[in-house]
Order: sequence, then structure tokens, then C-alpha cells
Amino acid sequence: MREFLSACTHFVHGTTVATNTLLEGKGARTGMLVTRGFRDTIEIRRGFRENVWDYRTPWPDVLVPRWLRRPVTERVLKDGCIEAEVDEADLDDAIARFNAAGVQAVAVCFINSYLNDANEELCVRYLREAMPDCFVCGSAKLAAVMGEYERSSTAVVNAYIGPRVVPYLRQLDERLSELGMPNRLLLVQSNGGAAFIDDIEQRPVSLLLSGPAAGVGALDYFSGKEGLGGLLTMEIGGTSCDVMLYDRGKVGETTRLDIAGYPAITASVEINTVGTGGGTIAYVDAGGMLQVGPQGAGSRPGPACYGLGGTMATVTDAHVVLGRLRPGAYADGSVNIRSELAQEVVAKHVAQPLGLTVEAAAIGIIRLAEQNMLHAMERMSSERGVNPQTLTLVACGGAGALHAVAVARLLGCRSVFVPRLAGVFCAFGMCNSNIRYDLIQSCMVELSDDTLARISEQVAKREDEQRGRLLESFSSEAIISDCFLELRYRGQQWTVRVPFFVGTDSKETLRRRFEQEFSSIYGYVQERNELQIVAFHLVGKGRFPEMALEAAEACAESLQASSTRSVWIDSRVGFVDAPAFSPTKLHPGSRITGPAVIEELTTTILLGAADVLLVDEGGDYSIQLTISE
Amino acid sequence: MAVDPITMTLVQKRLDHISRYMGWAMTRTAQSPIFSESHDFSCFLSNVRGDALSVADGLPIHTGGGDFAVRAVLRDYGDDLHDGDVFLLSDPYVAGGNHLPDWTVIRPIIVDDRFLGFASNRAHQSDIGGGAAGTYNAAATEIFHEGIRLPVLRLFERGRVREDLWRLLLLNSRTSDLLDGDLAAMVGSTRTGRDKVAALAREYGLSETEGVFSAILDHAQTLMKEMIRTIPAGVYYGEDVSDTDCFRSVDVPVRVALTVKNEHLHFDFSGSAPQILGFKNSSLANTSSAVFLAVMSFFNGRVPQNQGAMRQMTIVAPPGTVVNALPPAPMTMNTVHPTSEIVHAVWRALATAMPLEGYAGWGKTCYCISSGRRDDGRTYVMYHWNGSSGAGAVRGRDGFPAAGQLCTLGGMNLPNVETYEQVYPVKIHRSEMRKDSGGAGEFRGGTGLEYSASTYQSAEYSFRSEGSRKPTGYGIAGGEPGLKGTIAMTLLEGGEEIVAPQYGIMRLGPARVDVSSPGGGGFGDPLRRDPVAVQRDVVDEIVSPEVARDVYGVVLSCNSNTVDLSATEARREELLRARCVTP
Repeated sequence: MREFLSACTHFVHGTTVATNTLLEGKGARTGMLVTRGFRDTIEIRRGFRENVWDYRTPWPDVLVPRWLRRPVTERVLKDGCIEAEVDEADLDDAIARFNAAGVQAVAVCFINSYLNDANEELCVRYLREAMPDCFVCGSAKLAAVMGEYERSSTAVVNAYIGPRVVPYLRQLDERLSELGMPNRLLLVQSNGGAAFIDDIEQRPVSLLLSGPAAGVGALDYFSGKEGLGGLLTMEIGGTSCDVMLYDRGKVGETTRLDIAGYPAITASVEINTVGTGGGTIAYVDAGGMLQVGPQGAGSRPGPACYGLGGTMATVTDAHVVLGRLRPGAYADGSVNIRSELAQEVVAKHVAQPLGLTVEAAAIGIIRLAEQNMLHAMERMSSERGVNPQTLTLVACGGAGALHAVAVARLLGCRSVFVPRLAGVFCAFGMCNSNIRYDLIQSCMVELSDDTLARISEQVAKREDEQRGRLLESFSSEAIISDCFLELRYRGQQWTVRVPFFVGTDSKETLRRRFEQEFSSIYGYVQERNELQIVAFHLVGKGRFPEMALEAAEACAESLQASSTRSVWIDSRVGFVDAPAFSPTKLHPGSRITGPAVIEELTTTILLGAADVLLVDEGGDYSIQLTISE
Repeated sequence: MAVDPITMTLVQKRLDHISRYMGWAMTRTAQSPIFSESHDFSCFLSNVRGDALSVADGLPIHTGGGDFAVRAVLRDYGDDLHDGDVFLLSDPYVAGGNHLPDWTVIRPIIVDDRFLGFASNRAHQSDIGGGAAGTYNAAATEIFHEGIRLPVLRLFERGRVREDLWRLLLLNSRTSDLLDGDLAAMVGSTRTGRDKVAALAREYGLSETEGVFSAILDHAQTLMKEMIRTIPAGVYYGEDVSDTDCFRSVDVPVRVALTVKNEHLHFDFSGSAPQILGFKNSSLANTSSAVFLAVMSFFNGRVPQNQGAMRQMTIVAPPGTVVNALPPAPMTMNTVHPTSEIVHAVWRALATAMPLEGYAGWGKTCYCISSGRRDDGRTYVMYHWNGSSGAGAVRGRDGFPAAGQLCTLGGMNLPNVETYEQVYPVKIHRSEMRKDSGGAGEFRGGTGLEYSASTYQSAEYSFRSEGSRKPTGYGIAGGEPGLKGTIAMTLLEGGEEIVAPQYGIMRLGPARVDVSSPGGGGFGDPLRRDPVAVQRDVVDEIVSPEVARDVYGVVLSCNSNTVDLSATEARREELLRARCVTP
């Protein structure tokens, strides 16, 4: 182990510990300091119900109970001036209560702190001094953006998970160094960029999507390598299908997350998730209609065909019934698929209630699941104003490649890309991450050459700080800085993000850029309306040398299917005797015309009739679809 | 012809996707923030008879009313529909509208000469003329005071816009530039809906598609019967009363007799108040929608919201009453009131039938709308939503501390204080949970809020204080009502207090508004509330130790840190005995 680690340069960790701490409600006992008069922001939750018709379901538990949300007399006004200084007596009172209650983390969330965080930071310092073992954070330091509910929620989530996440990461980091790892632990942030643990320990909230965002590095790699252009990724695992859009060299990003009803403002990849994966349960409702999901069988017991006690019909069981997954051992025998179990549950829960054959029922399950996936993709491309027919669909996750060709056909995409490492897509992505620091700073001014000059000064100062941190680990050629402005028309709440080039941009160039972007999203411009700068967003990246995949050996040997079996391909072709190929037989340059099944180590690829699969020099699979008009 | 069950489920989900897709198209292209930010619109698809097939992207109070509008198109132009036609309407008296500000754009879907149904969009316009900017004229006593009335108009004829009509519409709005873009966005979204339904129909075959549409409605009807079967047969009564006609204090009851029989719900509103002077009269379309909202929320969203579900419901609303007014009664407020009263009355009737499943009432509005000019001269209209009322409890959860109006069921975001301070000339001093205000119960009603805000310039205040004279969030199954609200104005200079009217308009100099908003009702006997939950409420300072002791019968240790279990048991017995002797 020591030998292995000493030979490594970096250890990159995409972690789900932050998400799971939140989802499982296992965070620290957390307290809050709030502006007097605004004690209940996180409990009122802006009165919003995501699913209004589901009337009886309570909101998720509030992370800080009211008695631990302590009011402080202080006030910052809407222009950033301090109207009232912090009353230290309130702090002492709060600290006494926190200590008595065994509070381990405190979030400080004051009204208008995004404009001036002096009061907030004063309290943070005061608390750290008085409660040295306590995790303390201020809301504006995490996200200096307008909107006290979302900003407070961010700080609360951060505090709630901090005492669980940070010590775990610290221990891992220390253990790795002890074992000979030459560099510090790197963590994948929700935006897909990596950061050192020192940069994360105050803001673990930026790890909420660490796991799924790890795929971004892989997208960077493949889009560059293959010249694929726009990508739409579909990662399908046991419980869900995650969709990401990668267009014009960048992955779609958002700064607003909602994890199980807790909002957080943190730079993140935009992921559209639909609850349809391999373990998603199919059933017939009381009105006689087939439903697929959103409930799933989980990893235990999982699909019935695994023989681990699952009694419900799942998408995976349907694949088995249709011959798409072969029975027998997978993943070195850790899963053993039994066809008769799949037949039994699909018959009992779907075929019999609907009066269909087992095969027809399984086809229904697959078609409905694929339609769900299609809708998630259409939503992503529609909201981003991108024509899906110009994109390449990238299939990843264990089950992605089983559905990719069918979904691409429904969507009108002409090509599909399946990385050889589809099942370990994220892991490979992590190895291609860059270090990335994000800074978002609210400004709230009209766009004018004057204000632009002032903001440029601020940007330059912050950029220097950011570069300074990156220079500790990178040469200056390996550092990239990008700046963006969040602009909007006066009177609107939604902003549009445009690149900002300090020194060269004027009011006019920015306006043109904004209107171009605005009109591509909303379809019109407001020529007479003024523009406001809401925030600037600074992204600093340090680039590691790109990691290349080992090129597979080319071989001219003629292809031979390892077996042939009856497989239901799609509604056009139905069941056919399809050849099944084992990857060990495939080499760069190999070409297979569908219908066919390719059984990779971590995934199974299903090829439609007349679709052509080509193994490229990296050993990845590129599929051209034959679209019948 | 029997419909393949797989086709039925695929088409149903796809129709839902199409109606949502229409909504994304609308949000992306409309100009008014009311659409992109408040989502005050609904997209829906109907069959050839005008029966709603999918309203997946709907504001709750729009969800059950679209059929009236589509049927008005069929009535006026049913034998004269062409591909490329687009209809527009709004009038609640002659065109199946719900209230005048909601305009409905309706496009027939005709594929290869075959008529398949309609794609429609109903959306609240930013201004439609009338006596007040922004569509709500609290002084209206006739519908003519409320803005332009639109019968069924053919806005596009075989793909060509009628320019004269378009200009007429723009001329009647104070915000014609917004209207221009918004109307185009509405028309565009129905085109998207039409194209996507046409693609679906070609894929499955035109005749088959019609068969599938019927099967989808039958499925919802089957589920609805299934749900109604859980309600014991019988006749149940419900009532809710407003105490103002917008000008005077007068009781305005909404009464319903619900007959549950043969898997069918019959709602008879005979006995409800005659129509009133002010703008809180309902149209038949809105009343039906309110009943639908009440029933579908009661069934917790387990039945698809389409006309198949509605087939198991009939409604009698006598003409000339507040739930089915005759012209020229004004009715712009109806999506809020009497919607709240109708929903409350229906929920109460349902609760009588199924006491354990009942929903407690929401505290009614008690706030104001201020308007004036900013420093730079531009006008603004600010709704003081941060003083919203508490919602009712239900078995299994307490009421939400504050939510927007009942007609949205919580689908509308309350604003952030920071955003409001940037956008309006106002400083908000307080917005937090109220004490001892949520109706006591095994599950407590929502608390409502303590709200206070100063406006440092002169402004006009329009008051909406339905919930200020008596409790409005009724309790259910032994739960108590939430506390009533209060609203008070204080001049910043001199500190003089001004008495605010329930409805009406005042011009004031710089002033502060203080609201204690009404609480929601509680569910179940407060003596059955988990003592630990009561203790937590006391520690949280939203229930006082006195109320804990005297209403919930919970005795706490002197620092409130623990429940004194034996004292609590004794206290609860004592309170129960006292109930028996009290007449």
C-alpha cells in the first residue's frame, strides 16, 4: 500500500459523506444567530410547497430548532450601512444557551449581510473565541448573495454537516500522508472542480454534489478527445437517471441546489434527476395503469432477479425477461442474475393485472422507463435552449448503455458515445479534475462605466488573492482565471451570467453580450430597460497535466460473437436472435452492426438494428444511429 | 376497441410532459415577471368535447375550470374550427372565464383534417384596463369597473393574426408592451402543445389516439370512484362565512350540502349568500375549480387532475348567489375569495364524513398592498406577503407557519425580505412566528406571523383584512381555531395610530404597518397532543406555559426542560372532567 501511494501524485476523492449526513439527518447539533425580528426564516421556508397536491406530507425537519435560533440586536440596511452594531449581551446570552445545549456548530445569518458582513464576521470571531471547539460559519462568507432564506439555509446546512464531514476528511488526509501519499487530499466539489481540504474545511457545503459532479472531468476529456461537440449525458444507476448537458465546451452550471428540501447556494453542475434506474419498481395502480417509480428497491434487496429477497418487479427484471441482460454471474460473481425470478415478479405484478404476456409487460416497463428518461432530457435541452438533435448522447452508469440507443432515437440524436469505463465514469472524471475556486460577490449597482471601473478594481484584488492561493501548487501557466457578471434588467429577479473581461469590456460590450444571451433564453430583449449588475463570479482553476487513457491495442482479427440469444431490441424490431460480444474480443477499429449486445465489464451496451458501433483507438465505443425517417 | 394498457400509460405521461413543456416555453418567452417568477398561469390539453386531459402545469385554482372556457369555444365555433385558428376569451359570464384578468388562449388541434382536441393556456395579465392599475379594483361594484371583457374571439384565423383585434386588446391595457409579448408567448406555447400532440397522434394513429384519450379519462374516473368509496355514504354539511362585502360588515356565508352516494359526490350550494356588492363574487367556472381543488387536495393528489375525475362530481350553484353571480356583479377577487370560503366549506363537509381525515382551516388574509412612486418617479405596487397567515393542521402534521393564499396550496414563494428592501422603498422590521396563535390541537395550526414594515414616503394602502374580525382558520376533529389577526397603521411622524378598514383604500404619509396575521386551525383534541411536542413549542416560545397548562394540559418543570408526566396526566384528567360539567 505504502509503495503504491508513494508512487501516486494525487489522491482525488469524490465523496457522498456530505449528502448522506444531510439526507440521513445525522448532522451536528446546530445553533443559529439571526437578526432580531427574523428568527424563523428557515422554518417559514418562504411558504413554498414543491408538490402542492401532496397536502399531508410534512416539510422535512428544520435543521435548527427555534430555541437554538438566537436573536441578536444588529442591523445592516439595504445600502450596506450598519444601522445597529452587534449587541454583545445578546451574544453572551446565546453562547450560554449553546453551551448548555451542547451545540457543536453555529451558523450566523444576518439580514443584508451579503452587502456588508462586518456584523456577521464580528460574531463569527466572537463565537470562535468563546467556543473554540465549535464549527462556526457566517452566511455571507459562504454565499454573498441576496435572499436571506436561501443564504441562511446554505449556512445552516454547512454548519450542520461540518462537524461530521471535516474530521472524517482530515483523518483520511492524515492517514494518507502517513502511508506515503506525497500530496494533500483533493476533493471534488459540486462544480466538478477539485479543492484541497484546507479550502473545504470552512465550506463543506460545496461537497453536496461531490459524487455526481466527478463526471465533469471525464466530459472535458472525452469532448476534447473525440471532437464530439455538445454532449448530453445520461448516467443511470440503481435508483435514478442523472442528466447533464455539456455544451460549447462547458457543463451546465447552477448556483442553486435543493437537496431533499434544503436549499443551498453553491456553484454546482446542473443535474436533472428523474427517479428511474435499474432498481426502480414497476406496478399497476388501482385504476389499472402501469407505473414505473419513483419508488425503488434500493441496493438491498435490489431487483428480484438478484435473488437477495426482492419481491417487486424492477426495470432490471424487465431487461432480464427481454434477454437484454444474460442470466448468470456479473462483477466477479458478486451479483448472480436468475431469470426465473425476474419472470415471476413481472408476471405477478404487471403482466397478470394488465392481462398481458410476461414479455409484453416487460416491454411496457422498458418503454415507460425510457420515456421518463427522454422527458428529463427534453426538459434540460428545452430550458437551456439547445436543439437535442445536434448533441451526442453519452451513456454512463451501470445501466446507461442499455437505454442509450433507444433514448437517443426518441430524442433525435444521431450518435451515442459509451466510454469504455462507463461504469467508472466518475472515477475517471476525478482523475481529470482541475483545482477550482469560486467566489461570488453581490454588488447591486446599475451598469455604467463608473460602476464597471469600481467593480474591475474589486475583481482584480480578488483575482490576485485567488491566484496567490493557486500559485502555492501550480505554475502560472497552469492557472486560468475567468470572471462572470450576473446581469439583469431592472425590475426583474432572474439574472443572466455573461463573461466579463476586466480592462477590455465597456458598458456597451457587456450589454450586447447580455442581450445575446438573454434573447437566446427568453426570445426577446428590452431595449429601453437599464441593466443592473447583481454580482460578480470569479472562477480560478489550476490545471493538472491531463491524464490519458491507455490506448488499447489494435487488432485485425475478425469478430466473432461469443454467443447468440433472443433479445427484444425495440418496438421496430421486436425479438431477434442477437449476437452477444465480449469486450475481450473487441479492439480499436472493430466495427459491429446491430442488432447486438456488447457485454462490457461494468455495463451492457444494446445496439439497435442497423446501428453501427465502432471501437475507437482509446477503446471507447462510438455508435452512429440509423434513423428511419 | 380495447386500448393497450401500455399505450395508455405512455400517452398519459406524455400528455403531462407536453403540458409542462408548454409551461417552460411560456416561462422562457413571456415578459411579465408574474409568469417567470410567480407562475400565475396554467397550460392544459383537452379532447374534442373540451374535457381536460392533462393540467400538469397548473396553478391549483386554475386546475378544475378550464373546461368551461373550451366548451364556450365549442358552443360558439364548434362547426367552424380550422387548423391555425386561435381563440381568446376572458369573460366569466358569457365565455366560461373564471375572472377577467385571466385570459385563456385556446387552439384546436387538427391533424390531417381530423379534429383531436385543444391546447390551451390560461394566464393572469399584468393589466386589462378598468378602474385600477394591476387588475384588482377593490372599489368595483360592476364588472365594467374591472377591465375589458372578452367574449370568445377568433384571434388567429387559419394561422393569420387578426391585427385589428390585437391592436384593440393592446389599446385597453395600461401595460400594452408587456401584453404584446405575453400574449405572443401564450399563443406560442399553445402552438408548441399542438405540434407535440400532433406528433403523438401520428405516432400512435389518429383513431387510436382518440381511444387512448378516453381511456385516460376512464382511468382517472376509476381511481376517483375508488377514493370516494372510502367515504361513508350520507349527506354532510359545511359552511364558511366571510364577514364583509368589501364595503360593509355583513355575513356572507358559503354553504354546501355534500351527498355521497354510489361513488359520486354531489355538492349543493343552495343556501349560500346572495351575490354581494364588492368584487368577491364567484363565477361557475371558478366555483367548480374551487370544489375540484378542495376534493383533489383532500385525496392528496392520488387521482390525476383531469375531467375523468370530475365526472364523479356534480355541483349545484344557484344563479344570483355569491358562488354563481349574475351580471353585472364584479368578481375579480374570486380566485382568492370566495375561493377560500368554498374550499373551507367543502373541507368541513368532508371532515364531517371522515373526521379523522379532515383538514383544518387556513387563516385568511390580513395584510395590505401599498403603492406609490419610488425616488426615481417610477410607480410600484407592493404586496405585504411577509405578513401571510398560518395554514391549517391535518392528522400527522402541524400547520405551515405561513403560506400564501389557500388557492395556491403553497405553490407560491413568499418574497425574501432582502429582495423586497431592494425593490421597494421599505424597511422590514420583523417577520417571525406568532405566539399562542396557531389553533391548539393534537396537531397544532400554523402560527401566522408578526410582521412590521415602514414605508418612508407617502403611499396608498389597499387593505385586505378578511381575517381581522374573528378567527378564520377553523379547527377540526376537536382542534381549536387559530387566533384572529390584527392590522394597524402608525404614522412615522408624530406616532399617530390609524385604524385600518377591512377593505378599502387610504393615502398616508410615511407610516409603519404592523400585522399579527391569523393562525391556522388545529386538528384533534389538544389534550391528545404529544406532551414532548407541547414542551418543544413552549421552549420555542410559540406556545406559552399558561396555554400549555390550560389548553394542552401539559405541566412542565420550572425551566420548561422536561415534561412533568404525572402532573400532566392529572392536569389532563382535570381538564376533561371540567369539560363534562361545562354546559
